[in-house]
Amino acid sequence: MKLAPQSVPYRALQKVSGIVVVLFFVVNNNPDWGFAAATAVGAAVVLAAFAYEVAYYRRFDYELTEDTLDISSGVISRREREIPYRRIQNVDVSRSVIQRAIGVAAVDLETAGGSSTEGSIRFVTPDEATRLQREVQRRKSAGSGGETRSEGADRAESEAGTGARPGAGAGGDRIGPDEEELFAISPGELALVGALSFDGRLIGLLAFLSSGSVPVLSSFIPDASAVALTATAIVGVGGLFLVSWVLGAGVAFTNYYGFRLSRAGDELRYERGLFRRYSGSIPTEKVQALRIADNPAKRALGYASLSIETAGYAPGQGGDQGSQAAVPIAATDRVYRLAREVESFGDPRFNRPPKRIRWRYAFRYAIVVGVLVGIAFGVDWYLGAGLPWYAPAALLLAVPPAAHLKWKHRGYWLGEDHLLARNGFWSRTVTVVPYYRIQNVIDTRTVFQRRWDVATIVADTAGSSSIAGSDAAAVDFATDEAVELRETLRERLRVAVVDRRDRRDRFEWFEGDVDGPDETGEPISEADARIGEQTTADGADGVPSESDESESEIPDDGVIRPDFAGSDRDYSEPAERVDTGDYAVDRHPSDIHREDENASGEDESGNEEDDKVSGEDEIGARESDDADSADADDAEK
Amino acid sequence: MTTQTLHPRVQIVWVLRAVLIAAVLTAPFAGAVYFDRLPEWVPVAAGAAFLVLGVAHALLRYRRWSYEIREDALYLDRGVVTQVRTTVPLVRIQHVDSRRGPVERGVGLASCVVYTAGSRGADVRIPGLTPEGASDLREELKRLAIRADGEDAV
Repeated sequence: MKLAPQSVPYRALQKVSGIVVVLFFVVNNNPDWGFAAATAVGAAVVLAAFAYEVAYYRRFDYELTEDTLDISSGVISRREREIPYRRIQNVDVSRSVIQRAIGVAAVDLETAGGSSTEGSIRFVTPDEATRLQREVQRRKSAGSGGETRSEGADRAESEAGTGARPGAGAGGDRIGPDEEELFAISPGELALVGALSFDGRLIGLLAFLSSGSVPVLSSFIPDASAVALTATAIVGVGGLFLVSWVLGAGVAFTNYYGFRLSRAGDELRYERGLFRRYSGSIPTEKVQALRIADNPAKRALGYASLSIETAGYAPGQGGDQGSQAAVPIAATDRVYRLAREVESFGDPRFNRPPKRIRWRYAFRYAIVVGVLVGIAFGVDWYLGAGLPWYAPAALLLAVPPAAHLKWKHRGYWLGEDHLLARNGFWSRTVTVVPYYRIQNVIDTRTVFQRRWDVATIVADTAGSSSIAGSDAAAVDFATDEAVELRETLRERLRVAVVDRRDRRDRFEWFEGDVDGPDETGEPISEADARIGEQTTADGADGVPSESDESESEIPDDGVIRPDFAGSDRDYSEPAERVDTGDYAVDRHPSDIHREDENASGEDESGNEEDDKVSGEDEIGARESDDADSADADDAEK
Repeated sequence: MTTQTLHPRVQIVWVLRAVLIAAVLTAPFAGAVYFDRLPEWVPVAAGAAFLVLGVAHALLRYRRWSYEIREDALYLDRGVVTQVRTTVPLVRIQHVDSRRGPVERGVGLASCVVYTAGSRGADVRIPGLTPEGASDLREELKRLAIRADGEDAV
């Protein structure tokens, strides 16, 4: 399919807008010939841009195939790209004011790989953008039936648990799932978002600039009286804060105007923005982590914010707006209800670090105060102004409460399927990480932590904002507890993976049987029962698998895998000099060998499917099930 | 599987690196002496201090480093100042590289890099392996990752 034709002039003008600025200066600086030259150059550039964009338009083609989205593009260097639907993390549509006026929209498809947006379609009509979004979702759920149905079942369970909404059949209508609103921002909340948003960047910028200009400023300071100086400083700082606040409020207001989060089938959809409209979809199965954040002001008023994280956004991307689908503010219980809709975690009761760790924070803050006093003394000594350099020492009074608060707001909690970690007083973040999403577990102990016999455990996920340093981390827990936590997380991940595999396989048993999964929540025992049936059937059939050693023991999940037990090999030594034990022997010959064996070892009656059963034992239950049914067919014949 | 340590020759690589870093850090002091801003003993002392620290760090680092492939995860234990213990579940391994830098080739070593989709510690590097050891480890991890058979988490 093609882009919207309007995109040609729009893209062309977008490209040349930079040149206009340059030309403006040319005209200004050379009044006599500048204008003519500028016009000529400008016209040439515009023509070139138009030509390029026409070529781009002609070359750009996207197509929704069976299981990939194909994009072919490029004028000079051409590129064909296929993005499997299953790999698409989120689909975002944005429309700036101008784009809305001329009726185009930009579509971005994110996958987990790569450093930038993988599928960028600029621009299509808004209707086409929506269609694309819906179609990608539809085809994705069609492509991975088992997966999505299991998700649906999950959700049905969670609904039953929370009773938050009337059960809308998640499994029923795949084509056009009902859109169900989860959250819509109210004017009051929007006002609150504005009021509570504070853009610290301006202050940071000024601090950065002024840090370089202190020597310059210091030459003025002795002239002014101390009172005037203080007054100016207070007014200046006050004004700065006010401006920052207004800026933050404005940005937040335009960003979150008309924010809406809804769920349709197995994806979340959001919409927001005053000038630039954003809308997008996030498949629930791609959610990596949830983040619930608040600060003292929000806590006092009983509000919090929620962001939903996927692996889609590359570092730095979308950093300005933060997470794309973030509920900027809502009553705390509402936020938690919403979060549980997405990831059904229980009622958290956080474990706090040991109380002694408060001393560590107290020492740390005391050192900071000491440094401040030192700096103040240094400044005073340098200027000879006789200022009360010991004033910052008053901050020592704040040290004990600060240490206590820091300790109080730390914690972690192990839920049934989720790890919750909480950190921070000024901006307190509760991170919800499903065990299944943990990528690795990192245990760090700095020199100072070792002196206190504590450790930090970080559960790393593929989420994007972890780069900003807000991982799910249990900070400063006693070493024993930390080690235990680390092992627990590893174990729970393993269980979660096995569980997920079970469920995947279970749903594949029901392929084509629509009613099956909708009765939901049937415990795995059912699947086990079926596996049991299957294995007994296998045994009864007496297929050539008897010659296969690994067939004799079938694990509980029914998936037969070769046993690659870890070896005792020391990899820092060359291979020849080491007793490799069993490792060097190819105990588990590849499929090809296996097939040869079977071909030679078995009689004529063995058909292809039989080979499959014995040979491809690591592929999982589905194939063996298929093979099984084929066996059954044979038997009927 | 028992805990594995690195090949002792990796200390050469690390000590060389420490020497290089010490040289770079000492250069400004030497420059200051050249312009007669500092007495001559300063760069010598500074260089010696950096060198001792760096070499001590490199040696301690070697002592601390260990790794282990267990049933379902790869464990790494390392770090001198900040001790880091990383658990990489085998299901989460995305791909595995074995690589040899120029210095590593010089002392006949190689390393193995394990990638996960995690945003932090996204690549876990096991240095100090023999070239054969590195490619065997790579193969072994590949087999284990295939056996672990994870759905992709992303």
